[in-house]
Amino acid sequence: MEQCFTFEKEQFPLFFEAMSEHGTVLAPVRVSEQSFAFRPVSSAGEIAFEALRTILPPKKLFYPQRETILGYEGRTIEERKPDVKPQVLFGVHPCDLAGLGVLDAIFSSDPADSHYLARRKATIVVGLSCMPDRYCFCNSVGTDSPEKGYDVFLTDIGGSYFARVNSPAGLQLLQSRPGLMQPASGDARQQYKDFWVNRDRAFQIGFKSGNLPAIVDMEWDNPIWEELGQRCLSCGNCTPVCPTCYCFDILDVASLTGDSGERVREWDSCQFSGFAQVAGGFNFRPGPVDRLRFWYRHKLHGFEDAYGFPTCVGCGRCTVSCPAGIDDIVGVVLRLQGGQDGQGGEER
Amino acid sequence: MDRLEQPLPCISVHSLTGCAGEELVILENLQKALPLVRVVSFPFAQSANEMRPVDIAFVEGSVSQPHDLEKLKAIRATARWLVAVGNCAVWGCVQGGVCRRFTPEQMARDVYGQDNQIAALPSAPLDKYVRVDVKLSGCPIDAGQFLSVLASLLKDHLPYITHKPVCLECKLKENGCVLVEKNLPCLGPITAAGCGALCPTFGAACYGCWGPCEAPQMEAMEIVLKEKGYAIDEVISRLTAFGIPQEIYSRDKPLELKVSRQ
Ligand code: SF4
Ligand code: SF4
Ligand code: SF4
Ligand code: SF4
Repeated sequence: MEQCFTFEKEQFPLFFEAMSEHGTVLAPVRVSEQSFAFRPVSSAGEIAFEALRTILPPKKLFYPQRETILGYEGRTIEERKPDVKPQVLFGVHPCDLAGLGVLDAIFSSDPADSHYLARRKATIVVGLSCMPDRYCFCNSVGTDSPEKGYDVFLTDIGGSYFARVNSPAGLQLLQSRPGLMQPASGDARQQYKDFWVNRDRAFQIGFKSGNLPAIVDMEWDNPIWEELGQRCLSCGNCTPVCPTCYCFDILDVASLTGDSGERVREWDSCQFSGFAQVAGGFNFRPGPVDRLRFWYRHKLHGFEDAYGFPTCVGCGRCTVSCPAGIDDIVGVVLRLQGGQDGQGGEER
Repeated sequence: MDRLEQPLPCISVHSLTGCAGEELVILENLQKALPLVRVVSFPFAQSANEMRPVDIAFVEGSVSQPHDLEKLKAIRATARWLVAVGNCAVWGCVQGGVCRRFTPEQMARDVYGQDNQIAALPSAPLDKYVRVDVKLSGCPIDAGQFLSVLASLLKDHLPYITHKPVCLECKLKENGCVLVEKNLPCLGPITAAGCGALCPTFGAACYGCWGPCEAPQMEAMEIVLKEKGYAIDEVISRLTAFGIPQEIYSRDKPLELKVSRQ
């Protein structure tokens, strides 16, 4: 399926037109001096091509922050069908593609989440290359190259984009504007390869991840958890921003009139003290130290058990979003690898 | 009304010492509830008021004068559900917080002169004196939360009122974080949600008017704000301005003790 084309950046508005024809285009836009968010855009000019990480990852487009899943009236319960419209998600970097891959695995395993899958199916994903900043470490967790989960992936090769196609829908998108796409020339292919070699050299932080699951288990009692946990605000900023966090709360919202109401699901966070509290008031993770350590384990090890992969995709969102500065995954891993003395492990 | 129909549930809305903010929110939204309830007392909004048993009494304001206390006891005695609405009724608000450093006598003298007729009590939330069934904080309360409390109580359910931190609502709205990006002293991490992260949504720091969240991490908040250059006194005065007792944040180590050590 993989086919390669190029098109000049000047022609991007044409490509944008083609995307708009399929449905609403969602792309990163600037929302504050430092932040970006995926929002519906109506012209290429609104897109912040320079965005590395959006505040919330693209998961929000398939698994919205708050969603009604059923309605009830008396004894009748009715499932609410998701509002699914064709859309094009533009500007997804490799870490976020990997993040969507993790959520795909989770939400499609039994019992499958029909709302998530329906929205995913109605979406064309256009990936975009990126240059790491000082928080990116996808190369340490093996999510640095775009492997799957996209229909088209664009690599910035200077004056043009190098487009790799990975699905019939992607091919259709590229071919819908006759003359826009050129088959990738030999030069373009070389530029493409050069880009990724340079990009590989551009990472500023990282670790070697091979031994990670074992080390996370071994260092369960490392004093680092106490040290970081003391600073933890239990504010829960780290989980909504993570491309692979998927926990939600379920609320029944009664209507004022009659016997009716709605069941709503809303993103939740394992960093809240009520998250692991059960009937009778017992709490499995009562303090911030317990909760922070649990979160780190889940990101670096937890899913090795059930799914065979860790769930951190190296996007650096938690690091930049944590007001207490304790979600420094790379720094923590290096310290854990270095052992009790807290000396750094082997940097890449 | 058709005589054979069930009588409508009765509600009342009362105010003690407060700014009437809650009453305004309730009045603005009463239309939605009116077909379902009979309002037997709402002195702020209607002229015919009776003091008789009600299913739900909403009480705004703090207890700051002897007649507040008498009124509150009478309301409690006639209400099946007593709902404290607003920060004043739940926590004591500014008249309990900011004014904590003055005695009631001193304030009465300075504001109303030597021979004033003011009989003031130290301002306190309702639950200092009576049993409160539901506490709905806010300054003022959120209309959606009010209606959902009403909907639940009309069905004889205890309502669900979130105590997760403001940060959750803030992040779900995908706001840029003012604590991280602008180094503003945002108290969202330790403050209960419900307002929809109103202040951060407009680029301002949350100043904690809803009261503490489920498990406020005071010490961590202190560390973070101190590192951003905020003096501890400033942090404490922000934290306690809305009447939240200092002890609630750190049960083993009251904030005051820690401060005096520094
Ligand atoms: S983590 Fe990797 S894939 Fe994600 S933005 Fe940074 S460099 Fe790109
Ligand atoms: S744990 Fe942090 S760096 Fe890793 S995927 Fe989640 S938000 Fe990104
Ligand atoms: S780790 Fe950071 S972002 Fe997460 S709950 Fe703690 S303080 Fe908040
Ligand atoms: S702006 Fe305030 S409320 Fe919003 S996430 Fe940051 S600390 Fe939390």
